[in-house]
Amino acid sequence: MELEKRGVVAPLLVTSTFLPLVEAQAKARRVTPRVVVVPHPVGGLNEAELAERIEAAAGALLPLADEARGSA
Amino acid sequence: MSSDWDVAVVGAGVAGLTAARVAAQAGLRVVAYDRMAPGGQLVNLTALHDVPGPGEVTPSAELLGRLVAAAEAAGVTMSFAEVTRVHAGASPRLETSEGEVGAGAVVVATGLSAGRLGLPGEELLVGRGISTCAGCDGPLFRGRAVAVVGDDDWTAEEALELAEVAAAVTVLVPGRPGWSAERAARLAASGRIEVLTGATVTALRGEGVLSGVVVATSGGERELAVDGLFPYVGRRGPGALVDGVATDESGRVRTDDGVRTAVPTVFVAGDARSGAPDSVPSAEADGAAAGAAAVAALRPAAGRGLRIVDPTFGVQPAGSAAEILSGGTAEWTEVALFSNSKPNATELLRGVGERLQAHWELPEIGFASKPNASAAADKDVIDWLSQRYKMVLVAVGD
Repeated sequence: MELEKRGVVAPLLVTSTFLPLVEAQAKARRVTPRVVVVPHPVGGLNEAELAERIEAAAGALLPLADEARGSA
Repeated sequence: MSSDWDVAVVGAGVAGLTAARVAAQAGLRVVAYDRMAPGGQLVNLTALHDVPGPGEVTPSAELLGRLVAAAEAAGVTMSFAEVTRVHAGASPRLETSEGEVGAGAVVVATGLSAGRLGLPGEELLVGRGISTCAGCDGPLFRGRAVAVVGDDDWTAEEALELAEVAAAVTVLVPGRPGWSAERAARLAASGRIEVLTGATVTALRGEGVLSGVVVATSGGERELAVDGLFPYVGRRGPGALVDGVATDESGRVRTDDGVRTAVPTVFVAGDARSGAPDSVPSAEADGAAAGAAAVAALRPAAGRGLRIVDPTFGVQPAGSAAEILSGGTAEWTEVALFSNSKPNATELLRGVGERLQAHWELPEIGFASKPNASAAADKDVIDWLSQRYKMVLVAVGD
């Protein structure tokens, strides 16, 4: 969030469980976060499960990143 | 002084956020300090048992999100400066990383420091087998043996969380267990947890990485081979932070009456208070009481009638944002990843980063991390990232 305040595009990779907290913290910092949400948890996953998370996160991140670059 | 507040709350966990909300709802100008982010220690605990009621389970992030949002809605200003000293007195002053601040009243709600055994070589093994966050580091010990040291409900919860991934969990209780009967039943039912009472860790084993501990019991000393050690003893209260208030032997602030210290303008809430129960409901109750006590302490000075306040108080001037803008000058080829070092966070980031690298045909992608999720990011790292990169993908909550 500090990076966004400094003008850096900084998408946050967050699990669904942590999303409410991250949104509340962002509001407290007066920042509108760019959030990529993946199912909770990430820790403890095996290789196949992690690959699913990567796929889901990339699917959300790429259009978000394209949009940020396109509007810059 | 750079600013003045009616109430300054040091620590934005359950107790601090509640105290801040209560004081702000009474119309006072309130700042809540937390050098990382609001949330406190519970950020590190995945699930809260018996919250909101017996037998119920609440994700800690959900509860904290609600508390932060409620404080924010009440008008609390969140500050991420580090409070390095509180000078108690009729007009309390706080030394912070952003300068000195005055306040009409102070609520100390810092919680406790991380657990430590006080053994030689311990600090060198922190992050190399020693951790105080099962939710953060537990998966690193999947299928391996770990030990947990402590006697309270927090210890029990961490042991239960570790038992979901570790092959075996030994809980070393220096005296007798102080956790609830409900947690004792869950520990007993786990099947992977052994509780040793009257057990003291006397030495650490391992060269560079923890490989075991020496445990003294009434039956003598024995070696216990473990890859992970989670100490929840030796936690200190904020006594060294606050001048002029009495503390107990563990540095927790003593109170004369509930949340009131001997100094009429300084209050204490949550685990920072000597004798406070180790539970979420009691931290909330403490916070509410401390917030109300701070309001009551300031009311005679503020008057009981209508009060005119500056609605822009604490809001950064529009122009000030430009002063900290340093990103934006880099090219779109300059992209990095920033990991919080939680298990699999770096792997997830790298996987997503590879997809972006291919999508944008980036020649390379940068990487930075902070040592653990419980620590604030180093300012130098943030400075470097903001000056060097156009985009940084950040792992913050997992």
